Amino acid sequence: MHSSIFDSLSIILKRDLMIAFRRSSTYITPLIFFLIVVTFFPLALGPQESLLSSLAPGVIWIAALLASLLAVETIFSEDFRDGTLDDFFISLEPSFILVFAKVTIHWLITGLPILAASSIAAIILYLPLDSFIPMLLSLLLGTSFMSLLGALGAALALGKSAILSAIIVLPFSVPTLLMGTSVITSSLNNQDFSGFLMIMGAMLALGIPGLCLLTVEALLLNYE
Amino acid sequence: MIKKWLIEMGSPPLFYKWSTKTLPWLFISAILILGIGLSWGLLFAPTDYKQGDVYRILYIHVPSAILGQSIFMFMAFCGFINVIWRAKISGMMLKSAAPIGVSFTLLALVTGSIWGKPTWGTWWVWDARLTSTLILFFIYAALIGLHSTIEDKTKADRAVSILSIVGLAIIPVIKKSVDWWQTLHQPSTFTITSSPSMSPDMYQPLLLCLVGFYLFFALLLTLNLRNEILERERTRNWVKQLLGVSS
Amino acid sequence: MLPNLKVENLSCVRSDKSIFDDVSFDVLPGHNIEIIGSNGSGKTTLLRTLLGLITQDRGEIVWLDDAGKYHNYRTFECLYQGHQLGIKNLLTVFENLNITKHAKGMSQEDIYKHLERVGLSNVNELASNISVGQRKRIAMAKWLLKEFKIYFIDEPFSALDDTATLLIEKLIKELNVKGCSFVITGHRPSGIEATRVEI
Repeated sequence: MHSSIFDSLSIILKRDLMIAFRRSSTYITPLIFFLIVVTFFPLALGPQESLLSSLAPGVIWIAALLASLLAVETIFSEDFRDGTLDDFFISLEPSFILVFAKVTIHWLITGLPILAASSIAAIILYLPLDSFIPMLLSLLLGTSFMSLLGALGAALALGKSAILSAIIVLPFSVPTLLMGTSVITSSLNNQDFSGFLMIMGAMLALGIPGLCLLTVEALLLNYE
Repeated sequence: MIKKWLIEMGSPPLFYKWSTKTLPWLFISAILILGIGLSWGLLFAPTDYKQGDVYRILYIHVPSAILGQSIFMFMAFCGFINVIWRAKISGMMLKSAAPIGVSFTLLALVTGSIWGKPTWGTWWVWDARLTSTLILFFIYAALIGLHSTIEDKTKADRAVSILSIVGLAIIPVIKKSVDWWQTLHQPSTFTITSSPSMSPDMYQPLLLCLVGFYLFFALLLTLNLRNEILERERTRNWVKQLLGVSS
Repeated sequence: MLPNLKVENLSCVRSDKSIFDDVSFDVLPGHNIEIIGSNGSGKTTLLRTLLGLITQDRGEIVWLDDAGKYHNYRTFECLYQGHQLGIKNLLTVFENLNITKHAKGMSQEDIYKHLERVGLSNVNELASNISVGQRKRIAMAKWLLKEFKIYFIDEPFSALDDTATLLIEKLIKELNVKGCSFVITGHRPSGIEATRVEI
């Protein structure tokens, strides 16, 4: 049984990553979107170094949040349309583990590129080098949580407008935004930021089982 | 066992008949207590030595802010029952409570803003409480928006139930994180609602207002729910008999 | 021989409308069930209910386990193919078969053999470029990956030419001999040997 769960997980990961690589827009779009949003801030606010570096945590986080929700609708929509989603519920493995695989893929094609691009964003916004590690850590935990939350939104709004799935979960992303920016801001002020990271980690730890189970419930609604 | 009880108690026709009997009592008590509470608070309670008569808006602001949160808890509770036991009536309750909850939350925001102008000098202050109330308002909007996009009402109920459960889990986190966020950005703020000592003759009408608001909510919920039941069960025989339509 | 699946008095009601009512049948090893009904009569809903995607309002669905006992949850793996056949457009014909968990441990030659069996030779073509009939054939090739106790196939005979129809009938007969059962749906009785259930 155990090996069978891992088989199913690795098959889904392999299949979906192959498909993602064959259609490069899936991982390039969020990345470009993130960088464009970040670039727009200096254009709108002016290029003063002190202003930008103090705004950088917020700018990076807002851009990351929006970018990770950009492609959220695609998590289940294609699988639902072509019928592969049915297999999640027909197989004897617990469905929430398969949902977790889909969340992981979404993170790999949105969260991970954003994480990589955030260093560029940090450079052009004059974020001090010391704050890079806290920024990466907060984005790592935060974008993972956003993928989980986004999966629920995608499941609830399956077959509806793409923007709806993002909008219904945006209000729930407030703690992530606040904690994420607090981590970077604290590190800018040489304050301790480990507490915020721990809370983000706790949210992620509770969110993985909780949100995956609710996502399964939400997906099943589409079969009635 | 619980499921059976819920199904029996949660049967729409039974609830409808039961509520027809209790509705007049609910109506009288809500109007009476709300009327006494509000007129006591707005007309007879002593004037605040620092804020003057402006503070009286608290008799609307505080109860509506509390109701906004309580109704959300209530909705999440209904949502939980709806997801676990699929009790139809809990879904309808959730749906009926949402517009009331969002109205109270909006009322709390508007009164808070009106109160803010004379006390803080601006219409809006990023006070921790106001900020979390604003986010609560967005969450309500998300729930209502989601419900309206799904045509099948039973499905919509379940979808909103699922989202409301997430809301229940995340609202404490939102409140806590907004508190931290505020201390990080502006270390000490003046909060109006928790003035250190409120004299009993100011506090008692507030308490009465709060009870009145709860009763008012119960009244509105019952009315809404009755409408919802009639609309959804309009093809059923009991509704046709009730309305005197030949089937 | 005990039936692998017993369905008793199954009913499903959605928004006050009865979708199907009082459906009963047994699925014996090597025997088929064909659910006949017109469009919108709830055939797909019935299949989904059997597999637990939808909860029934009344009735029992029980599954046999290896020890000969019945349970109200599914005890063995089944194959389900809905209207959407579960084919990924951005994978090739070969990959659509190879990257599934049922093909685990199977050699490339085995998969080519199955594809050849259903008459598919353009194995390296992307699935987005092939016709509906050929997609149906990919779906049929999936039946051969593993012997399932029960295959649930939604309208296998729709949109098929005569050779493909004959092929399906042959495949089903072969799998029946091995003890596999089919639960299929359709608008009218097909050529396969089956107990018909009208809804």
